[in-house]
Amino acid sequence: MMTPHVLDQLPLWIEGDLAAPETAALEAHLSQCPECRRAAERLRDSQAWLREALEPPFEAPDRQRLRARVMEQICTGATAKPGPRMPLRRSLLLASAATLLLASLIWNLERARPSRPVHPGLPAPLSSAMPPSRPEPTPQVSRPRPAARPSRARSPESPPLAEPARIEFQTSDPAVRIIWLAQAKPPSEPIQTPLEAP
Amino acid sequence: MLQATEAVLMEEGLSPLLEIPVADPLEQLVRRVQGGETEAFEGLMLQTEKRVLSVAWRILGDRHLAEDAAQETYLRVFRSLPGFRLGEPFEPWLVRIAVNVCYDLGRKRGPRAVPIEFLELPGEAASSAEESFLLQQRRTLVRQGLAGLPPGERAALVLRDLEGFSTEEVARMLGIRPVTVRSQVASARAKIQAFCARLMAAPQGGRP
Repeated sequence: MMTPHVLDQLPLWIEGDLAAPETAALEAHLSQCPECRRAAERLRDSQAWLREALEPPFEAPDRQRLRARVMEQICTGATAKPGPRMPLRRSLLLASAATLLLASLIWNLERARPSRPVHPGLPAPLSSAMPPSRPEPTPQVSRPRPAARPSRARSPESPPLAEPARIEFQTSDPAVRIIWLAQAKPPSEPIQTPLEAP
Repeated sequence: MLQATEAVLMEEGLSPLLEIPVADPLEQLVRRVQGGETEAFEGLMLQTEKRVLSVAWRILGDRHLAEDAAQETYLRVFRSLPGFRLGEPFEPWLVRIAVNVCYDLGRKRGPRAVPIEFLELPGEAASSAEESFLLQQRRTLVRQGLAGLPPGERAALVLRDLEGFSTEEVARMLGIRPVTVRSQVASARAKIQAFCARLMAAPQGGRP
């Protein structure tokens, strides 16, 4: 009686990767099974073709050229800053710097755009539910926002050195303008972000 | 990359590279380079460059890329040589670096477009010119079959079947278990055979 086919073991057997008992059993099967024998023959052929096709093409001058290039780099100290890694690091650094620069430019532009000067002849607000309630800047403010462009006169109570940052946003509706006053405040005071009509 | 490979080896309970008690013929040269004799590195290259170029070409399948890989391998070896432990065999360590460089360059290059054609094997009456042409085609197809393998299987097959390292040596070089090497090379051999059988159509029922 013939043993089961051994097709899945042939790729190991063909290069001697099977243990001795497995090899003996497989070869016993091959002696009885023409189908597995043909498969083994095909595998042997493809391994021979593989070795024949993968014969390296390099000659002595190629190796000499390689040696010369490597020794030149070693002797000139170029290995201290090796080829592929350093340019990669440098380029990553440059890319990060460029991204940061671009981001800060965009941020500045975005900040500058809505706070363009507001025309004095804008209409009054449509709703009276929002009375002008400009907060009085507190004297504790010591660090005004640099991008703020105060377009209105400060209240007379404001101290000269504690000027709050004032940012005005003109919405698409000409009747609505958002004014944001940002200032440092003592911890007890609530944040004031009033809406103000022109 | 090397540290990661060593970590894998430690995890798997394998010592980093071989503990063969045989004296390494390259050890003297390694010792001299470590002692500051840069010129001795050329001697190391003379002894090993054939192997490095061969491994790189067989894994990458591209002559120019293989030359770049060999160059980068030796530059990495030179930089890492101060940390090389004398007593370990040098060549497997070198090949392990070469394989890692090939992986890096292969990743940068990306997958290659592999043109696949069918090949008719010559019949009995084929002329020698025809046979020579078909032999070239067969080589191209087999190389394409190898290039189509996953990188792990390709490296295992190249090191085990083409470079002639043992399964255990390949396992240490690639940082995997011997059983994984056996499984990878078996799979690779079967795929190459199937690829050849599919694309090399024999005329009139001849052997594929």
